[in-house]
Amino acid sequence: MSTATIIAPLSLPLIGFRTRAYFAPVNRTSGTPTLFDPAENVTWNYSKPPAPWIDLGWIRNFTRTAESTITDINAGMPAVVKMQTRQKLAATVAFDFTTWSKLTMALATSSQHMNVLAPGNSSVAIGSGAKAAAALPLQATSTANLLYLPSGTSSALVAGSMVVVDEDYTGQIGFVGNPVSAAYVQSATAVGNDPDYIRRVSFNVGRITSIGSDGGLHLAYPLPGGVPSSTMKVQQIIGLLDREGGSFFQEWSALFVVEGVQGERLCFHYPLLQSCAPAAEMTTSMTQSLQMILPSARFSAFPVIDGNDGEQVICYRTYYPSGVALI
Amino acid sequence: MQNAKDTFYVALRNRLAILNPARQVEIRGVQRPAILVEEAEAPMKELPNDTFVLRWTAATALEDLPVRLMQLVCEVHYATSGSQPNAGLDRGRAMTEMDRELLDILTPMCAPKMSYTTTPATALATNVFWSEPQLAALETVRDQLLRVASIQVLAFDEPGEA
Repeated sequence: MSTATIIAPLSLPLIGFRTRAYFAPVNRTSGTPTLFDPAENVTWNYSKPPAPWIDLGWIRNFTRTAESTITDINAGMPAVVKMQTRQKLAATVAFDFTTWSKLTMALATSSQHMNVLAPGNSSVAIGSGAKAAAALPLQATSTANLLYLPSGTSSALVAGSMVVVDEDYTGQIGFVGNPVSAAYVQSATAVGNDPDYIRRVSFNVGRITSIGSDGGLHLAYPLPGGVPSSTMKVQQIIGLLDREGGSFFQEWSALFVVEGVQGERLCFHYPLLQSCAPAAEMTTSMTQSLQMILPSARFSAFPVIDGNDGEQVICYRTYYPSGVALI
Repeated sequence: MQNAKDTFYVALRNRLAILNPARQVEIRGVQRPAILVEEAEAPMKELPNDTFVLRWTAATALEDLPVRLMQLVCEVHYATSGSQPNAGLDRGRAMTEMDRELLDILTPMCAPKMSYTTTPATALATNVFWSEPQLAALETVRDQLLRVASIQVLAFDEPGEA
């Protein structure tokens, strides 16, 4: 069926709905970001982005601040501008998440994000959570959605429990955590040789929705790290925690998308963003006694080398016009 | 502007027919989805129950853009007395159901603009889009609960558009 065209392409202002945020992990060991390729990803499903991108939903108060500076180079007497040079390349991004979760809390803080593990029998109080109850091994039949403990194992896990699945800490130095680098261990002594340290910071978390008749722990959604390896163990989480302080900086790739009312899209892609502000909240009063509390995030952008011309770039802005827009 | 009004109405009507096919009203002997435009029907003494009635009120034009942007206010009036088998004691629940249905059919908050002056309808170039509704406080008139929801409906006035 042909569609009658009654007008020539229009020059339209961009009127957008809210801004949506997507994040993907950076390989911290190699410093490799997850790139959003605007050519390859023209058919990107914004409702269900391809792995490893994670949809973090609508955000509020999205603000981009370019802090790059350009300076003049003068010559002659009197001095006249001969050329310009880019003196500094920098930018920050700030916004408020509308939800609280492991990932939004982690992104909104400039240090390790920790899982509060269910405690063992230790009576020593620790600000980030007491030593944990022993981790439980998993059967090889476990999948990303379904965890099996060895038969005969008794555990406190019930439907509704939150769990973390990751490896024991056995003296690793460097970035740790699956599938995201969740912390940097400088020495085994620094983390007290705690076998639970990786699970304490890991992003490989889930919530049990039900326990099957065969004892399997059914998860609400697949573990971010996929099928657990044979060396991974499970522990119960009872809360999520971040700290003012610490020496680690979260680093992620980010994509922010404004969907226009005419079908156009404006995408801001920051290949490397590091949290640059301590944990903070935006509070909005709803009534005299009710307030909405949102995690606030602020990031510094870091450069990557563009694959087409070798230029250093900290942000890509892509505009996909609507079908009727003048270009 | 008429195309924008028609498009908004037809979009909501079609979405309602899918969301709740049982919400029907008989107008001039014809069963149809229970949503209508007040100015396109015979004058009514009172709101029909369990039906969404669209009333167009204010209109403004933004002229400092490459294409004029029309901003219209659409009030959606709806009322219910509950059901007869329940002697109207379920009118609060019935109103809550209508609130939810209205919020659902308003999403997504845009629709391709069409001209319904031709058969079949002609697709125009732009989308009609609108705001979240502002739901006013409930009113009670005799056995009826009534609500008004206000929505800002916006559309570009395309060159050559009737």
